[in-house]
Amino acid sequence: MNKVTNAYVPFCSEIKEVIRHTDIEYTFRMEYHGQVRPGQFFEVSMPKYGEAPISVSGIGEDTVDLTIRRVGKVTNEVFENYVGDHLFMRGPYGNGFEVEKLGGHELVIIAGGTGVSPVRGVINYFGEHSEKRDALTIITGFKSEKDILFKEDFKRWRDQMNVILTLDSGEETEEHKVGLVTKFIPELEVKDLDTAVAVVVGPPPMMRFSIMGLLDRGFKEENIWVSQERKMCCGLGKCGHCRIGDQYVCLDGPVFRYIQSKDMMD
Amino acid sequence: MGMDIETGKLKKNAFRVTKERGKTAARVRVPGGRMQADLLEHIQKIADTYGNGTVHLTIRQGFEIPGIPYEKMPEVNRMLEPVLQGIGTKHSTPEGGYDASGTRNIMACAGSSICPYGCYDTTAFARRMEEAIYPNDLHFKVVFTGCHNDCAKVRMADFGIMGMNEPRLDPNRCISCGACVKRCEKKSVGALSVHNFTPVRNEQRCLGCGECVLACPNGAWTRSDKKLYKLTLFGRTGKRNPRLGVDFIKWVDEESIIKIVQNTYDFVHEYIDRDAPGGKEHIGYIVDRVGVHEYLKWALKDVTLNPEAEVYQPLYWTGVTYTDQPGGYHYPKVNMKN
Amino acid sequence: MGYFITVEKLDRVLKALSESYEIYGPKLFVRGGRFTDTDMIRYDKVASWEEMEWSKRSDYSFKEVLLPLRQTLFYFTEDRVKEADPERTKGALIFLRSCDLHAVKRLDAMYLRNGEADYYYSRLRKKVRFVLVGCQSAGESCFCVDMKTNVSEEYDIGLNIREGKLEVDCKWEEASALFDQNCSSKTEVAVDHVTETRTRVKIPENLSSAIAKASMWEEYSRRCIGCGRCNFVCPTCTCFTMQDMYFDENGKTGQRRRVAASCMVDGYTDVAGGGAYRRKKGDRMRFKVMHKVYDFKQREGFHMCVGCGRCDDICPEYISFSHVINRLEEGMKEVCGDE
Repeated sequence: MNKVTNAYVPFCSEIKEVIRHTDIEYTFRMEYHGQVRPGQFFEVSMPKYGEAPISVSGIGEDTVDLTIRRVGKVTNEVFENYVGDHLFMRGPYGNGFEVEKLGGHELVIIAGGTGVSPVRGVINYFGEHSEKRDALTIITGFKSEKDILFKEDFKRWRDQMNVILTLDSGEETEEHKVGLVTKFIPELEVKDLDTAVAVVVGPPPMMRFSIMGLLDRGFKEENIWVSQERKMCCGLGKCGHCRIGDQYVCLDGPVFRYIQSKDMMD
Repeated sequence: MGMDIETGKLKKNAFRVTKERGKTAARVRVPGGRMQADLLEHIQKIADTYGNGTVHLTIRQGFEIPGIPYEKMPEVNRMLEPVLQGIGTKHSTPEGGYDASGTRNIMACAGSSICPYGCYDTTAFARRMEEAIYPNDLHFKVVFTGCHNDCAKVRMADFGIMGMNEPRLDPNRCISCGACVKRCEKKSVGALSVHNFTPVRNEQRCLGCGECVLACPNGAWTRSDKKLYKLTLFGRTGKRNPRLGVDFIKWVDEESIIKIVQNTYDFVHEYIDRDAPGGKEHIGYIVDRVGVHEYLKWALKDVTLNPEAEVYQPLYWTGVTYTDQPGGYHYPKVNMKN
Repeated sequence: MGYFITVEKLDRVLKALSESYEIYGPKLFVRGGRFTDTDMIRYDKVASWEEMEWSKRSDYSFKEVLLPLRQTLFYFTEDRVKEADPERTKGALIFLRSCDLHAVKRLDAMYLRNGEADYYYSRLRKKVRFVLVGCQSAGESCFCVDMKTNVSEEYDIGLNIREGKLEVDCKWEEASALFDQNCSSKTEVAVDHVTETRTRVKIPENLSSAIAKASMWEEYSRRCIGCGRCNFVCPTCTCFTMQDMYFDENGKTGQRRRVAASCMVDGYTDVAGGGAYRRKKGDRMRFKVMHKVYDFKQREGFHMCVGCGRCDDICPEYISFSHVINRLEEGMKEVCGDE
């Protein structure tokens, strides 16, 4: 047997910055040296809480952004005065988005709620590298105004791409529309439906209806990408929690082609 | 010639004075409520030959064969011989039937030989008790039940014995599924809580019902080797003050229980009201009169309780009493001298 | 080379081997069962042949030796992590039946492959030797023949139980020397195996994830209580959950461990925020059954289920796994029509 490394032991990482989006969602900018892709995730140790899988929501020089949702009393602790402090984490895990596979064509990214985290890096990449793609549209949905994540990013994104920011309820403004993300799919302007690529990430019902909408609009099954959220525990293809059929979301995903994931039965 | 029978004698011989003039009913005790099925043949034969062809299944797990002419009692006793022998009932005179009926049939639920909840072999213990206290003319009711579900309704007897089983946790086999905690909460007394993903047992509250062992999918909870019991005291039905028996000792062993019951016979001999109608006074009423303190002195005489045993005190009974208040009925009431 | 050997002499061999190997076998735990005065057979350390119980299949499998039900991964303080010592430093000699020896291959597939090799499994898997105990007859619920696990060749020592003695086939040099010292009579030994079982299973060739739509699963939503016993006794179920337990109130020092988990038990798929997949027991049953006789094979090329039948025997609700397998054909007809 070859020498096996202990992938379970987390490393200690400094919290460089904490960006507060909403009352319950903060981005922790963590020190990280190494390869990482948007859509991958880290297992973050929370004192008294255990581990939680957190998607990479941004990649910087020697940092990764982890957007963490406050889940209860215990994680509140993590939310208070942690700059300069440390968290234990391990990863990155999963395949993540390979921008090479998404580029070259018209691209539509549909994301709901915290589903924006795993695609934020993709949006940033194609925002900055317009030469790597054709027209880019993002449709992002949040429950209400106070739930909007990455507000600062949207300002930049509006200059770089076609942005549809929509809220489930409230008043329509300059900034955002009102309605579910699916409402805007039929209106999408697409030049070449045979090659146009779509990425869908969000809560399961939102993903289901968005994909239906995309197929109705004429997108090809093989050109739609999804990121599956499942219970992640070990991140190493061992614990079994994230398995769907013969696929392990933590190893083979979380990013799948829709054509592959459509037959995956929970 | 008119019939001339000493009713007291026939009652002791386990026959009954029935409402039908000239006819008696034979009563068969089945301690522990279990017997070889082939003995039923004899009971059937007695019913067909001397009785009216019917058998009544008694409330106390016996048989009552009605419609027997008094003069056929000797024949019936002869035919009962294989039943007494088969069941193992002690009797002084071969083919003479039962020696006493005061101490009632010792009842038992199905127990661990059949029931998944049973914490011990109720029939075996009931037979051991029968061996220790029968025959005796004093009116004692002793009932055995396998667990705290109390299907045998031991709390309505003078002495109730409930199986207890101290659950043991092997934390290395616990996989934190929560089944035991949920089960204890929903079906028992909620004696389990969780600390660090592992159940913690509140020893004071735990009944030893075994639900956690039954619920555990991984054999993390197992039963202790030692069979221990809860002993309840002086429940009763009847007219004056029906009430449920109260917990007397928990985690007590077989020997102690048997000795306590035997000691109670001495207590009753000492204190029974000799003028009571028919010479019968229920133990509980005697204790009501004499006081619990005095009773306990007798009951625990020469008893060396096993180290696990915990005695409850003080003991209070309530139950229904009847008064001249409007409605004439009062419940509950503490009516004991302690 | 094979040997005839008495129990006493086998024990001498075991004693010699025990210097560098812990010996594990199925052991009878008297009154260790669920119900009063019932026993349990499960794996534990043993020192001699007589300590092992072969009259009945063990209720729980050998897998606990390689995958402790609770395994501490490391200890942590505020800023440091210390790896836990291995549960066993010696090698292990595991006595098991053919179905279970096939199960080892499944555990290896999961823990040595399927992503990177698992550190803690690898640690315990090193220096493990297997003693295959031949089966002269199959148990009531065994279906190894149909799962093609009735014959095993990958043993270190093979052993047949004979009247008053044992037959041994040794493929392992270190032990061969010991057998040579202790046995005079040598013979050719083929390890016993069964060629038929009373319980039979047939996995339909057209089986696919479409089976999820079959109506048969609804019945299990009604019957299954989600206790997970079928998973815990299974020699091929490998799921676990991570737990952090704390030694102090402020939650700064403690240990992280992994604990066996079951896809039938509530909470298995719970995600932060209250979501869960497969809430219905019937869906969980389908998920488990399909893994055992379909999904795993898609990935690894052989079935996960080894046909030991433990799950059939342990189910308190009398749900027979082999019966579920045999209903799949009808289920496929229902969802695909007759093809």
